Amino acid sequence: MADAVFLALSVITIGSAIAALEMRSLIYGSIALMGTLGGIAGFFLLLDSPFVAMFQLVVYVGSIAVLILFTVMLVKRELIFKKVEDKRRKFAGIGLMLVFIIALGSVIMDSGIKSITTDEPAVDFRNIGADFLTYYWPALILMALILAGSVTGALVLARREDVNNEQRTD
Amino acid sequence: MSVIAPNFKFSEFVKSILDNAFWILLIFVLIGLPAVQVILFYIEMPVINGELLTPFLALTWLADPSRTLPILKAFMTTDLFKIVAFPGFGFAALIAAGTIFVERKMLAKLQLRVGPFYCGKFEGILQLMGDGLKLISKEIIIPAKADKPIFWAAPVIFVATAAAFVALIPVAPGWVVADIDVGLLAVFAIIGFFPIITILSAWSSNSKFPFIGGIRALHQMVSFEIPMILSLLGVVILTGTLNLSEIVESQTNFPWIIFLPIGAIIFFITILAELERIPFDLPEAESEIVAGWLTEFSGMIYGLVQLATYLKLYAFAALFVVLFLGGWTGPMIWPPFPEEIINEGIVMGPITAKIPGLPIFSQEMLNGVLWFVIKTVGVIFFILLPRGVFPRIRIDMLLSLGWYKLIGLAFVYIFIALGLLYAGVLGPGGIL
Repeated sequence: MADAVFLALSVITIGSAIAALEMRSLIYGSIALMGTLGGIAGFFLLLDSPFVAMFQLVVYVGSIAVLILFTVMLVKRELIFKKVEDKRRKFAGIGLMLVFIIALGSVIMDSGIKSITTDEPAVDFRNIGADFLTYYWPALILMALILAGSVTGALVLARREDVNNEQRTD
Repeated sequence: MSVIAPNFKFSEFVKSILDNAFWILLIFVLIGLPAVQVILFYIEMPVINGELLTPFLALTWLADPSRTLPILKAFMTTDLFKIVAFPGFGFAALIAAGTIFVERKMLAKLQLRVGPFYCGKFEGILQLMGDGLKLISKEIIIPAKADKPIFWAAPVIFVATAAAFVALIPVAPGWVVADIDVGLLAVFAIIGFFPIITILSAWSSNSKFPFIGGIRALHQMVSFEIPMILSLLGVVILTGTLNLSEIVESQTNFPWIIFLPIGAIIFFITILAELERIPFDLPEAESEIVAGWLTEFSGMIYGLVQLATYLKLYAFAALFVVLFLGGWTGPMIWPPFPEEIINEGIVMGPITAKIPGLPIFSQEMLNGVLWFVIKTVGVIFFILLPRGVFPRIRIDMLLSLGWYKLIGLAFVYIFIALGLLYAGVLGPGGIL
């Protein structure tokens, strides 16, 4: 059962990832991207971590995909894409992908993943939260500062002094 | 004299009914019974009252009405029943249908109209059925150059998403379709799908008004998701769990609205915005942009979208009840099932009918469902009420309300919840 689900999820994830890159229609491409992100959430569910899976759905499908969709709908696609494709680029891309897959695969295979016992109970998400606030707190603070800095920077960049909105009353 | 069927003869009518009955009986005996036996032979049968339910026994029990209750009870514990009928889709659709009728009638009374009146003998009570029949029989028109696959798929996915939302709501102790540890997070994940479906269906219809409505819906839903999630964090902080059933069980002594009224108010306002109800109905503002993102829908596609909208309304109201009003908890007002019927059976003169399997539902379950429905209907009433009272607000007012006021208020409320937790008043190990 789990193997069949794993296979189906793999097909969905990889297939929609390829579709997201290859589709000519940008809207369908972003829908396929949603399929990829949802498939990754399915992998997390399969790995007994529903907490991470739900956050994957909330953050990636719920916000990032919406953002991409929104952006795609507001641009004219003929203006930003020119089809530049020849054989050398194609083969170089495929070769690069193979190198990456082999490198990543050898790293993962060496990391002791084979000796994991699978019948242990799922990790409680309270432990994840406790770890974040004790051992990993510098990383958490750093991430929060980076995010806050980028949001502030975006607000500063988006601010325009010359626009006068007449409808605004406050 | 009937105009619809001038050549009507009662004898032929009776004859046709008898003919139909004969053929149905013949087909059932020749094909139906063997098919039922074959299917029952291959299905793994449950053990009921210590007896294995063989096909022969099942047919015997089906023939004896007084012995079908154990089969019915065994069926009611299955996932199929839970998804289709009681805590899932059927129950929610029933409440949604009631909501539509009450909304129309109540709005009419608020505005000194009569509302639905002629369909059905009493106060237009069959109006909804008539509307449903009309929608089913109407043609589905797809605009030219519309993106057909998305245009067809969007309403269906909308209904499916709303049904998934409904599946997470616990109605009575143990009566929930999906009782998962991260229930509230799953609710957030499902809510995140609604703006995607809205904008996709709006874009796919290749029309200006739906697209404007879809963009508005996207703005509104995305910006009100943040105060909504923040307004539910206080409850999670104080209960220490994300499971909706456990959140309800933590409110046996008092509902959280007593200590977290600010959160309840923020959540209620965000519900109104997420459901696109007045005063936040900009996505389907009928006086500005025809019908917003619903403009190009016709026939049963429109019916599906309406069904999903009202399922969503029920689910949000039920979520409010579960998180702030204590769900199914309440004083026991349901009378207990009479003992003598269980022990001695129903005595009617000389006949005693002893029915095994009674009572069908436990007293706690019925009482819980009663309280849950009462509270949910109350919340739905308060969601419907602003439609008769308020005008629509501008989109910049909506966004400034969402981004400045509600998010600020939500942070204040989270600090109140944290203060209550660390002062040792509420929460795990608190004095209350």
